[in-house]
Amino acid sequence: MTTAPERAIEQRDALGEPSDPYPQGQVGRPVLRYGGGDRTSGAQRFVADLRFPGSLQVALVTVPVGCADVLGIDTTAARAVPGVVDVVTAADLPSPMPRFGVSHTDRPVLADGRVNYHGEPVAAVVAKTLDAAQAAARAVRVDHRELPGVYTLDDALAPGAHRVQEPSLRPGHALADTNVLEEAHYAWGDLEAEEARTEVVVEETYTFPMVTHFPIEPGGTVAVPTDSGGLDVYSPVQHPYLLQRTLASVLGLPLNQVRVFAPDPGGGFGGKQNPKLEPLLAFLALRTRRTCRLVLSLEETFQSMRRAGCRIAARTGFTADGALTFHHVDADFLIGAYADVAPRVMGKGSYVAAGPYRIPGVRIDARAVMTNTTPSTAFRGFGSPQVSWALESQLDAGARRLGLDGLEIRRRNLVAKGEAFVRGESAAAADGEWHQSLEKAAELIGWGTPLPPGRGRGIAVGIKPGATSGLSQSLVRLLADGSAIVYAGTSDMGQGARTLWQQIVADELGAPLDQVSVVSGDTGTVPFDLQTSASRSTVFMGSAVLEACRDVRQRVLALYAESTGVPPEELEERPGVLVTPEGELPLPEAARTALGSLRGEFIGQGTRRLRGKGKHPLGGDAAFYEFNATAIEVEVDRETGELLLTRHVTVSDVGTELNPLQVVSQDEGAAIMGLGHSQMEQLLLDEHGRIRNLGALDYRIPTFKDVPVELVSAAVENHDGPGPYGSKGISEGALLCTAGALGAAVADAAGVVIRDLPLTPERVWAAIQAAEAAQ
Amino acid sequence: MTSTARVPDHLDDDGLQTVTLTVNGSERTVAVPTHRTLLDGLRDEVGLPGTKSCCAEGECGACTVLLDGKSVNSCLVLCVEAEGHQVTTVEGLSDDGLTDLQEEFLNAGAVQCGFCIPGQVVSAEYLLRTNPEPDEVQIREALSGNLCRCAGYQRIVRAVQATAARRSER
Amino acid sequence: MTEYHRPTSRADALTALAEGGARARPLVGGTDLLVGLRHHHDVADVLVDLKGVTDLPEPIVVTDDGVRIGPTYTMGELVSHPVIGEWYPALVEAALTVGSVAIRNRASLVGNSCNASPAADTAPPLLVHGARVTISSQDGDRTASLDEFFLGPRRTLCGPGELVTRLDLPRPAPGSASAFRRLTRRRGVDLATVSVAAGVGPDGGLVVGMGAVGPRPLRTAVPGPVDLTDDASLDRALDELLGVATPITDVRGSREYRLATLRVLTKRAVLAAADRRDPREMAS
Repeated sequence: MTTAPERAIEQRDALGEPSDPYPQGQVGRPVLRYGGGDRTSGAQRFVADLRFPGSLQVALVTVPVGCADVLGIDTTAARAVPGVVDVVTAADLPSPMPRFGVSHTDRPVLADGRVNYHGEPVAAVVAKTLDAAQAAARAVRVDHRELPGVYTLDDALAPGAHRVQEPSLRPGHALADTNVLEEAHYAWGDLEAEEARTEVVVEETYTFPMVTHFPIEPGGTVAVPTDSGGLDVYSPVQHPYLLQRTLASVLGLPLNQVRVFAPDPGGGFGGKQNPKLEPLLAFLALRTRRTCRLVLSLEETFQSMRRAGCRIAARTGFTADGALTFHHVDADFLIGAYADVAPRVMGKGSYVAAGPYRIPGVRIDARAVMTNTTPSTAFRGFGSPQVSWALESQLDAGARRLGLDGLEIRRRNLVAKGEAFVRGESAAAADGEWHQSLEKAAELIGWGTPLPPGRGRGIAVGIKPGATSGLSQSLVRLLADGSAIVYAGTSDMGQGARTLWQQIVADELGAPLDQVSVVSGDTGTVPFDLQTSASRSTVFMGSAVLEACRDVRQRVLALYAESTGVPPEELEERPGVLVTPEGELPLPEAARTALGSLRGEFIGQGTRRLRGKGKHPLGGDAAFYEFNATAIEVEVDRETGELLLTRHVTVSDVGTELNPLQVVSQDEGAAIMGLGHSQMEQLLLDEHGRIRNLGALDYRIPTFKDVPVELVSAAVENHDGPGPYGSKGISEGALLCTAGALGAAVADAAGVVIRDLPLTPERVWAAIQAAEAAQ
Repeated sequence: MTSTARVPDHLDDDGLQTVTLTVNGSERTVAVPTHRTLLDGLRDEVGLPGTKSCCAEGECGACTVLLDGKSVNSCLVLCVEAEGHQVTTVEGLSDDGLTDLQEEFLNAGAVQCGFCIPGQVVSAEYLLRTNPEPDEVQIREALSGNLCRCAGYQRIVRAVQATAARRSER
Repeated sequence: MTEYHRPTSRADALTALAEGGARARPLVGGTDLLVGLRHHHDVADVLVDLKGVTDLPEPIVVTDDGVRIGPTYTMGELVSHPVIGEWYPALVEAALTVGSVAIRNRASLVGNSCNASPAADTAPPLLVHGARVTISSQDGDRTASLDEFFLGPRRTLCGPGELVTRLDLPRPAPGSASAFRRLTRRRGVDLATVSVAAGVGPDGGLVVGMGAVGPRPLRTAVPGPVDLTDDASLDRALDELLGVATPITDVRGSREYRLATLRVLTKRAVLAAADRRDPREMAS
């Protein structure tokens, strides 16, 4: 008799050899989600669910254009609204305006005389009720003059274009007088020589739209002034320690005066990593000496986060038998009005613009181009989906010219384990048996088997570098009764990090699973964690927790020796047990004996630190690569352009599945999110830089009915990752190459190649019309 | 040119309307401005924040509750409209512990960030009460008004199927 | 401050609407009204809830001659009504595309017409099936065909102080049938890019209702018989039926795409409707 969760994934287990590094343990098992009961019962408290009696409500004031000079702000009428406590403009904040940012310190707490994107707050109202705050925000008169903002790459790169960023913010920078914030260049091999031996050259331009994270929890911030002049800040942020540092910096407070409570994000996907409106709320709370609360609308969330759009011009060469000879890429990332982490998205994404392939000649020139739009930020995939769309489409174009199929051309070019796919000074080599994922995806889609008319298949692969530096610290307390508490700063935004810590501690300390609890989301009690991003937590925090457990075991051993008189050299600690001359003792029992009548506890500490390399363009070698192969079978309605995905297979190279149920959840979720930007998602702007489809009515994300008829998630496990038990990060893989697989499938089914995402019914229809007209 | 932000017109809290409704079996009386939605009333006045707010325009399903036994978007119902009616929220699906459906959500790995889950559970419960043995197409149709950005859709379908099977065994 | 009225009589409802004038709106499902208010597309601040009125026409009455629908009849009730499904299959198909289950549990059929979105899903089949509405005010009742009722985007014959109290659908003639087709940007809940309902009459004549291809839902017809087995005659009929469409380009689709797919969907709807006809009842 199998248990319910085992039933749920038995289809997946049938696909491959399930592996179990700890046959008797919790790691490797489909353990149910930590905190899952509260999440299904409605007891889970997200930031908007927290109650702060007597708190003031905040509403933001904006102007209805994407770029404008603010000439004056009249708050008289707003201040007269009953219940209004304060109306704050840039003039009420310190001068010069405090700015913050991850890669550039460019983002003002409030718009400072200039609105740089639609939705940027120019003032904030603080009132006793939300109704009063919103009414007063409506009554604030903002005298402004619209400027000729730049909203597209062509706008921004045109000679004489309006400059998004004041040159004074980048003094002395060569690009300060342009809208190019940063560039990245990677090159190896001799492109001319490679071209000389090239049979087929494919040259095309691809576009990837601006898309928004659309977390179902819009989010918000509550700032509470403390009696000691500091602040407690509640925000569903992925990086509480970064927020703490940012707030301390703009407020001029020591870190210990800023305590960040991070309730679990209701979906993050990268959008909740970096500070946005929290500094404003902090100033409001310190100014009013009252608790200030802002809960965002979904529309405001759209105006707070998005993925960089991208235009990629690619020129790619192949030999007659399909070997890649060279790949030359110009990638322009359409970032927003402030840098956020977008330069890094550009740099890290373009680093893998030549993909996991053996290409002797490569040149990649990428730019982060500022526009008067929502600041783009991290978003699952971090630049890789954009470049992958172009590269995978180029491979299929080459294959079609050479009479090869999509599987064969990838077989011929995909690197083997240990083989370099990035060459030159900052080389990188495959850290997994990536061919296995490709072959498994091909097998599961039934590659090569006959299809009915109107259907087609495509296959694609994608890679993404994991974290290139990092620091995670953890504490584990083994209590006198054998139960344990883990302190780990990873934000649990749905990936299920806490479940893994529970599983690891249960195995390593021999504690029952339900007697391991996890504390996170509080910079005041939980040790430092750099960030929850780049699918790093399993590897980084997982290793820190593992080390903390080992530290506990060594302390148990030492105290056991001291209290029993058994010489320490006759003792040995292993996962879950203390080995004594009399035999194995369950660790909790050994701990009890060691602690004796005074009781007390053991406190273990673990640290996983990956120092970057100063010279490396990514700041260091990636700790691991996520690799995924996706295959899609699609039916195309030639008359309307509608797509029906009949089968979608995703295979990720996961190292070791610490919790197969969570791996499936993340993998399926990433696949469907990938279908979003591949099929339907795009932010559309009007000529004033306003989002035309601002909100859930016209910004379309996949629903239950948009899930492929069959969606199959499988994994390759070779226990070759750097994380605990050979694990790797896995949360992004399945969306890296979704677009490439779908584009190839549509080309196969309908005979049309589309280079602009998303592949909406109208785009597919228009391509078919154009092809038929050309015949 | 001068502009102002777009916000509701309703300026003050005077003239609150008293509304008596039954929430999860208990009669509750709240005083709300007339423009306040049932979602606001449940979260802020009744003190049941399990029902979530996302799009506030009936597109995402996070705020789904049962009104007289039928699923509705509580963001599109005025609190005053609920006068004299029965409301069941996610907190009221079970008197004690998790329902079989909620257990199956966990078992199937359907719960990731969890923000949409209360709405999903209420919509799925409504489906199973009106169609105890739905097929996969019917499940997808019945839940297509409930967005999940973690996209646990396939897991949720499995959870509903497992619950239907459990209930048919009873 | 929004005024909320919950009258128990039709007379009180009409009084409240008359006193509220242009600022007043009848409220049934609220699924369009509350969205409009939230976004300030609608500025009404007098809401007259009809759900407590006891002397309005019954939600649904089926007679030998047709079906009468009252203002509080919901989409959810409609889609599961056996007679509606048998007589007006296109209407059920269309109603099933209105929002989600939760929306349909609340939204009313009459309200969907009164909201007068050019893309209202149920308008095309109601036009095909010859729906008429009764508009009531303190001055009395008047009736109009739904085709006359729709004036433009969000504009109908129903003015301040007025209320649609009843919608009548004549029983379809033997040998006729209808079908509905729709195009959206995704498969799940979505607003129509194009929608169309087609009816085939006993004599083989065609009637078409169209959504999202003009400033209001459109209705056209060609007399029968149209030989649907002959591509050329069907094409001629489509030319005649669809010439009134004047779609615009917006976030949901371009004018060109809408025109092309309108034709595709209409053809599909016509053929689907024809397949539904009972051969024993056909006049020709």
